[in-house]
This record gives sequence, structure tokens and C-alpha cells, in this order.
Amino acid sequence: MHPFQYQRADSADQAVAAVAKTPGATFIAGGTSHLDLMKEDVHHPSLLVDVSALPLKQITAFEGGVRIGAGVSNTAAAYHPDLQQRYAAMSEALLAGASVQIRNMASMAGNPLQRTRCPYFRDPAQACNKRTPGSGCAAIGGYNHVHALFGASKACIATHPSDLAVALAALDARVQTTGPRTIAFPELLRLPGDTPHLDTVLEHGELITAIDLPAFAGRSHYLKVRERASYAYALVSCAVALEMDGPKIRRARVALGGVAHKPWRVGPAEALLAGQLPTEQLFQAAANAAFADAKPLEHNAYKIPMGRNLMVRALLETSGLQPMQGPAGTAFAASVGGVAGRLATPR
Amino acid sequence: MRMPHESAPNLQTGDLAPNCVLPDGSRLFEWRGRPVILAFAPEEWDPTRAHQSEIFARLSREFGSGATFVDTATDEWHALNCRGALAAQFGVAGQRALFLLDERGVVRWKTVVAPGQDLRAGQVLAALEALHSPPATAGGVSALGGGLSRRTFVTATLAAAALLLLPGCSTESTTKEANSAADPMGPASSADTIPVVLTINGKTHRLQLDPRVALLDALRENLHLTGTKKGCDHGQCGACTVHLDGQSALSCLTLAVMSQGKEITTIEGLSTGETLHPMQAAFLKHDAFQCGYCTPGQIMAATALLQDKNVRAGSAVEIREAMSGNLCRCGAYPNIIAAIQEVQRA
Ligand SMILES: Cc1cc2nc3c(=O)[nH]c(=O)nc-3n(C[C@H](O)[C@H](O)[C@H](O)COP(=O)(O)OP(=O)(O)OC[C@H]3O[C@@H](n4cnc5c(N)ncnc54)[C@H](O)[C@@H]3O)c2cc1C
Ligand code: SF4
Ligand code: FES
Ligand code: FES
Repeated sequence: MHPFQYQRADSADQAVAAVAKTPGATFIAGGTSHLDLMKEDVHHPSLLVDVSALPLKQITAFEGGVRIGAGVSNTAAAYHPDLQQRYAAMSEALLAGASVQIRNMASMAGNPLQRTRCPYFRDPAQACNKRTPGSGCAAIGGYNHVHALFGASKACIATHPSDLAVALAALDARVQTTGPRTIAFPELLRLPGDTPHLDTVLEHGELITAIDLPAFAGRSHYLKVRERASYAYALVSCAVALEMDGPKIRRARVALGGVAHKPWRVGPAEALLAGQLPTEQLFQAAANAAFADAKPLEHNAYKIPMGRNLMVRALLETSGLQPMQGPAGTAFAASVGGVAGRLATPR
Repeated sequence: MRMPHESAPNLQTGDLAPNCVLPDGSRLFEWRGRPVILAFAPEEWDPTRAHQSEIFARLSREFGSGATFVDTATDEWHALNCRGALAAQFGVAGQRALFLLDERGVVRWKTVVAPGQDLRAGQVLAALEALHSPPATAGGVSALGGGLSRRTFVTATLAAAALLLLPGCSTESTTKEANSAADPMGPASSADTIPVVLTINGKTHRLQLDPRVALLDALRENLHLTGTKKGCDHGQCGACTVHLDGQSALSCLTLAVMSQGKEITTIEGLSTGETLHPMQAAFLKHDAFQCGYCTPGQIMAATALLQDKNVRAGSAVEIREAMSGNLCRCGAYPNIIAAIQEVQRA
């Protein structure tokens, strides 16, 4: 690990000033992504500004919705009774992610800012435009089974690993920063284009202070497929937010995870769903539309049928046409297969 | 300058080191003109091991051609046996000690630890502080111009860094000492350390650490709390699980400096005297391990789970999900779950 200076910030202003004036300075919150990558020799901050002690840990009612402080832990947000009930997809995404220990440490701002799990990115011996701009992309001709179906570029085909980000995209969350500005969630994260080293639109020294969830009176749900039952990243995931008008769908928002450099909202599919009666046929048509322009790579074509099936199932479960595997707002509802997917009765 | 006294060989800073015979047959005075480091240690202390070797390799490189330290025929860094005659001549028989001699053979820095105790950073830092000022006694040494040559200075800084990183060199320092260490005494380097105060199992520990040190390494290497295990070092296995303010957390992905102000509990803090924590007893009863490497982490995660209001007790499926952050390559999972269930029911 490269040497760095360390500074603990007592206020957001102090944190911003410290990072803004120091080239190579970064914030650190839970450290579960950043420190890991520092150990891997992928990140080399000159100065670490610790924002974990900032008073950004409240969850408050806000404009009919909820404002979640940037420093709230993933655990605290996931189990907040109001959030778990009103924004079940978010709790499900959080609780199906990482482990208890990591969720205790991880912050709400840090989670969507975690870096890709593309294995080549984490290996400094490999070419990677995201880690070392201009060095090439080892994944393009390499083993790309966890890589993108949508929005990839010639420079980078990585996917975004955060479960939370997918739920936030479906819930139309907004991010408050010290800009000061408000960034609609999907715009916070970028597509790779020819600048894959930039994951977000945040400026150097711009601190996220809160994540706002707008008012929502429908049902939301998150489903995730992984290579083992728990403690693994998503191969493909899907967040759904449905608002009903009597028996009909008034508005549907669907975001896919594990398929692009950012959570992938599927506009054409959402348009198909609006104003319709929920049926399996309809959901299948929507899933087909969602994946119509998928561009598979050498090793990731499996994600297309997997993603379609997952999206259909997520819509069926959200609309109530099919039961969830566990109580809404828990990891059991979010998991596909494995012990975690079935909540057995206590023995 | 005080000359070393045969009958009271208690060498102080500022003293001229005795012209003793070194293990390679040379006499110490032959090394004049270059700074020399003498390290005394018990035989079982092997400075070429593990990460120590890296530090000593760096010391070696830094000394380069202009200076050297005592070595053997093997041309390697050699720790002098602290039970030998030489140690007696330096007044450090049976003790771990480091001496830095300047170009004139004068002791400019010395740090000693009694057997069974730990080296203290405070001592090292105080010695470093002393290097800033002219030697305690005047006389012949004033020819150095009252200060240190740059090379000697670098040497001392590196040696201090080496000491701080050596296992067995748990550190303790006052704020004053900490401040002197933070002084820009040279180019910023990885040797820069900062004071870190940790509350572990109810006890306060004052350390002087490189900010890069993870809590896991501070526990194991600096404080000898080796119950907490290093598995993957990347957040993927749970072996390093501790409690931070009562919640389970991974010490490998936590910087020690960021753990300040938190109540840190390790596996060593679970039992009360000789009485095991019920979870420890249940793990024994249910044979919830084979090799035992993952066990401290499993037990720390399990005890945190006991206090977790968010997880329903009793169901094996819920325990599995809540414990999924702790891998066991021996596959003791069914017994681990049985142990946890028993304690949950009690
Ligand atoms: C073994 C393992 C398994 C995991 N599994 C999953 C999983 O299944 N699903 C999942 O979604 N995640 C998973 N994660 C990732 C984990 O969720 C993230 O690492 C975590 O959420 C990051 O949050 P943090 O607070 O620790 O961020 P940090 O590591 O502290 O920071 C991450 C980034 O955000 C920046 N940052 C932090 N706070 C702010 C702020 N307020 N404003 C601006 N920038 C900020 C930092 O500078 C840094 O660049 C896993 C991690 C590990 C180690
Ligand atoms: S896909 Fe992106 S992150 Fe992976 S190697 Fe290519 S450039 Fe790097
Ligand atoms: S050593 Fe910390 S999780 Fe493996
Ligand atoms: S008992 Fe050997 S790893 Fe768990």
C-alpha cells in the first residue's frame, strides 16, 4: 500500500476543503471498497479524509419521502422500519448484499460509489483502462462472463456491482451533494464511453450528504441471482417499483443490475407496462423488450435468458401474482435459490 | 565523554562504545567512519523472517556502500545474541536492545527492553528526539558540528521505522512524543507515524502507527492479540471479525486509525477470567470446528448475532444467512449452527 496522510473530518465543510485542495485526496467512509482497493494497489490516495464521524447519520421524513444521511450504515438503513416497509426493494437489495459485518461498516454514500468487480481491474498486472487509462482492456478478449450486456464501450465492458444502486435507480432516488446540487440517481453514475476511469459525475472534493427517496405509495421488490446462496455479488439482478391504479399498473419502474456500467433502467419495457393489467404474458413481453438490444460478449450470453426470467419473476412477485420467497424487505425475498432463498420454519 | 567502565558496563547515549570483538572477528573500531547499528536479541528472534526481512532489506539498501552494520560471514543482517559476551560488554545481557553508533563510534541512540516486555515507541522517539540536539557530553564529538550527518539521520529514522514494525515492539507513547514524531523531520515517507489510541476489551492502548496499519495488524502485530485471525485480508472470509461498538466488523478492512473512539472487542475479551463465554462453551460442546482457524471469527460473528435485534433467533436458515460472512474451509457449518442455536435457546 502506498503511504498516505490521514485526516478525520469533523464537518462536511472541513472534509470538502481538505479534499478539494489536495490532489489525489479522497474521502473514506466504511472503507470496505476503498481500503480493499488500496491494498490491491489499485487506489493510491495521497490523503484520506475520514468522513465516518460526520453528523450525516439521520433518517428523516422529507417532502413526503425519506432523506437518508450519507453516513447511515447499510444495516441501519436496511432495518429502518419505515424504509423496510415503504421501500422494500431498497432493504432487500441491501440485505442481499455482502455480509452482516460489511453492511455494519458500509455507508449509504459509499455503497453506490464502490468500484467494479471486474477481476482485471483489481489486478495491476493486467491492462485496464479503468485503472490505468490508455492501457487497454484485458476483459474484452479475456474471460468476460461477469461483464456488460448494455452500454459498454470499446474502452471498458465492466458492470457496476452495487445492489443498492439498482434499487435506488428504480425508486428514482436523488443524491444531495455539497456542490451544492441535487443529482437524479441514474445520472450519478456514468457509462464508460472513452473515460472509463470516471465512474461518477461527482467533482473532486464533492461530498454526498444524503440520499433522498421520493414519496412512493406502491410496492417495490428486488431479486438477485448469484453463484452461491449468500455473500456473493449479483450475476444479474432486478429492481421493480410498481404503482397501481385499481387493478391496472399506473407506473412501473424497472432497473437491471449486473448488466451495465450503471443500473440499467429499461424505458421501453416500462412504457409497455403502464396502463396495463398485470399478467404473466405482459411481463414476458416487457422482459423481451428490455433485453431486445442486449449485446452479449463471448462469455456472458447466459445473462440474457437469466435476466429475462428474473425480470418476469420480479414483476410477478411485486404485483402479487406469485408469492415471494420470504417476507418483503428481507434477504429471503431477494434471493433466488439456495438456503437463503427459502425461509424454513424454525425447528 | 564518559569512557565505558569495565566493571559497570552500562553504556549510555554519548558514551564511546567499547572496542569489542564482533562475531566475524573484526573489531568495532574498524568500522569507524560509518554509522553502525547493533541489535541484540534472543536467539529465537529471527529478524530475517516474514515482514521483518523486508524492513531489514530496506535498512541494508539505505546503508549501501557508505555505511554498514554488523554482519556475519553470510553477509546478512545479524542479530547479536543477547546472551553472549558482547551483550554483557554493552550492558544489555539478556535484553533486546538496539544501539546506533555514529561515525566516531559514539552511542547516539540506544533502546533496551527487559525480557518479557515490549519495546516502546516512546523510547525510540525519545532517542530520535535526542538525535536533533548535540550529544549530551561535549568533547571530541563536537566535531560533528552538533548535529547529525544526513546519512546518520536517515539511518536512525529507518531504524525507528523498523522497530515500530517489528512484532514484539508494541508501542506506547505520550502525546508529546507523538508530536515530535509528526514533525516534518525529513521527506515524508512511509515511516511517518501518527498516535493512535485504541480501546480494546476495555483497556486503552496508545500506539504510534503508520496510518496504513489495519486494525487487524495492529491487534496481531503490535498488541499480540493474535486470537483475531487473518484469512484473506480482503473482507472475503470473516476470520478477522471483531466487534466495534457491539456490532460485528472486519478488522482487515478497518484502518486502526479509524477505530479510535470505538469500543473494540476481540475474542480475547469474551471470556471472564477462566470462565468461557457461553458461545465459546457451546462451540466446544458441539465440536464446531476442525482446524479452528475460522473459529474466533465465527464466535465473534455469533456473539454479535445474539445481540442483533433484527435477526429472528432459532431458525437455522436465518442463522445461515446471518453467518454467511464467515467461511469455514473445514466445513464445520452444521455444528456451528447447532452451537449458535443452543445458545440462542438458552
Ligand atoms: C467481500 C465483499 C463482498 C461484497 N458483496 C457485495 C454485494 O453482494 N453487493 C453489494 O452491493 N456490495 C457488496 N460489497 C461492497 C460493499 O457494499 C461496499 O464496499 C460498501 O457499500 C462501500 O461503502 P463504504 O462506506 O465502505 O465505502 P468506502 O470504501 O469508504 O468508499 C467507497 C468510495 O466512495 C467514496 N465516498 C465515501 N463516502 C462518500 C461521500 N459521502 N461522498 C462522496 N464520496 C464518498 C470514497 O471516496 C470511495 O471512493 C462487498 C464488499 C466486499 C468486501
Ligand atoms: S472491463 Fe473495464 S474494468 Fe474490466 S479490464 Fe476492461 S477497462 Fe478494466
Ligand atoms: S481476513 Fe478479514 S475478512 Fe478475511
Ligand atoms: S474449522 Fe477449519 S476453517 Fe473452520
